[in-house]
Amino acid sequence: MNSDFSQPHRVGNLRGGVALVKATWASWVQYRSFFFILAFGWMIQPLIYLLVWTTAAGGKTIGGISRGEFVAYYLVLILVNQITYSQANWTVGDLVRYGQMNRLLIRPLSPFYENLSSEMAGKVVYMIFDLPIVLILALIMRPEMHASLRDLLAFIPALLLAWALRFFWGYWLALLAFWATRADALLALQDSLVFLLAGQVAPVGLLPGLLRTAAEILPFRYMVGFPVEVLTGQVETTGLIMGFAVQAVWLALALTLTALLWRLGLRRYSAVGG
Amino acid sequence: MIEAQITVQGLSKTYRVPVRTEGLRASLKSLVKRAYDNVHAVQNVSFSIRSGEIVGLIGPNGAGKTTTLKMLTGLLHPTGGQARVAGFIPWQRKNAYLQRISMVMGNKSQMIWDIPPMDSFRVLGEIYSVPSSLFKQTLEELIELLDMQELLTKPVRNLSMGERMKCELVAGLLYRPVVMFLDEPTLGLDVSMQLRLRRFLAEYNRKSGVTILLTSHYMADVMALCPRVILIHQGKLLYDGELGSLAQKMAPFKLVRITLGAENGSSSRDVSLPPGVEITNRENNLLTLRVGRAEAPAVTAQLLQTLPVADLTVEDPPIEAVIDQVYTEGGV
Repeated sequence: MNSDFSQPHRVGNLRGGVALVKATWASWVQYRSFFFILAFGWMIQPLIYLLVWTTAAGGKTIGGISRGEFVAYYLVLILVNQITYSQANWTVGDLVRYGQMNRLLIRPLSPFYENLSSEMAGKVVYMIFDLPIVLILALIMRPEMHASLRDLLAFIPALLLAWALRFFWGYWLALLAFWATRADALLALQDSLVFLLAGQVAPVGLLPGLLRTAAEILPFRYMVGFPVEVLTGQVETTGLIMGFAVQAVWLALALTLTALLWRLGLRRYSAVGG
Repeated sequence: MIEAQITVQGLSKTYRVPVRTEGLRASLKSLVKRAYDNVHAVQNVSFSIRSGEIVGLIGPNGAGKTTTLKMLTGLLHPTGGQARVAGFIPWQRKNAYLQRISMVMGNKSQMIWDIPPMDSFRVLGEIYSVPSSLFKQTLEELIELLDMQELLTKPVRNLSMGERMKCELVAGLLYRPVVMFLDEPTLGLDVSMQLRLRRFLAEYNRKSGVTILLTSHYMADVMALCPRVILIHQGKLLYDGELGSLAQKMAPFKLVRITLGAENGSSSRDVSLPPGVEITNRENNLLTLRVGRAEAPAVTAQLLQTLPVADLTVEDPPIEAVIDQVYTEGGV
């Protein structure tokens, strides 16, 4: 009588997953303007700190970073923050709370695809809005970039890992909705920690002693700040290796927790009902 | 071919729910030590449904209908008993199983809200891995049967409830499931739409041989579609058989309607009735009497002798009345 929840993910159904991604994208494009407004909202904070730091730097440097370098840092950060921001995490809990999970569990496709598809749909729609704005700002504000080929090459895996880390870290927090009805409070906490420790309020290198150490150990810097630092040429080779290692360790933990909570959550869901 | 498509053996589901007591002290105490209550939602239910049958699962709110459906669709794990549907154990949730069943709910949607139904159908076709030629053919058939060509290109959010239900049915049948679970499919629909959906379900069942297990609170649905009903109440199976025989079994009385001759209208006020006969309704010279099933022939004969009867009919009580009696009194 014991269940066969060893395969609750059903990630095997790639064909169905791809179709779902396409349809979700089509449905999101219907609401372009709504998502543009969201994207604008997410851009505001980095823009404010961009202005604060460039004004503060003036003609000098702060912690070795010049005005033009701050511009480059924050413009890249706007894009990286948007690419790694996982809106889907907020909807996972809703699926459980509002009984939508039944609808998804009855299909021969993992509900995970539902989240993944809104994630991918979102990225495309947000970039349509973000890219032109960042480009215009770059023309006006004259950023200074010292990215080597190594930095460029390292940026791509750093960004992908940052996305995966932020997505799955939020995902396991969201899955707590199987047990607690207001698990999304933890997602709000994660957003605050990202704001403080991921290089938004200031590049991590400029944070004071203890805070900086915390930022370098905790996962949040590796969700946003790390790839930005890599692309803007602020990370040395040893820092690069260390950064990838820390990113990988946190990602492995997030993936493990996600898989575990999924399994336990579904077991609980099938015991108590939705 | 006659074979059991759904077999259920001693199926039970007991929920363990925390007892919440009122007051601050009690709620603080419950943080430390929680008391639990066992709620027996479904108790030792057994039945078997042949391939191609349409069976109505009826019972009052909270009877255990939805819990039973959830177990059969694999959403819930039973706490006891066994079930096999289309050769699978539902709660193992094998992909092959999910591809063979469908669950259409009157209050949940498989459609993507902001895009036209056609796009949702395509996605479902892919999710259920329907070969494209079969997909086209099935879709054409369903659209024809439901007469909904014009709905395909409007966004789902612009459709009426009835139109949306048509879409749900297409979504649930696109991959040609062999077993279909329908949970309140006519919920909130107007009378003529209810009628059309019933006609569709009957016709589709006849054509495709799909096995249907349906719950509904509208007895009209059940009467029109289900030759057989399973009645559950407080988690227990009370009746399994023909809808027509439900009245005989559950209501051990008949209704005798007599129209008294007009010339004797005044004395009809103090008609002397045989013992055990009850007047349930009286309008002028029209009397409705409730008579024990076994006594009905004798009583009728007696009435014909003693009263100036102009007309007399003996009938079973209406199904709604029987069901209501079962629901409120928990059986007869």
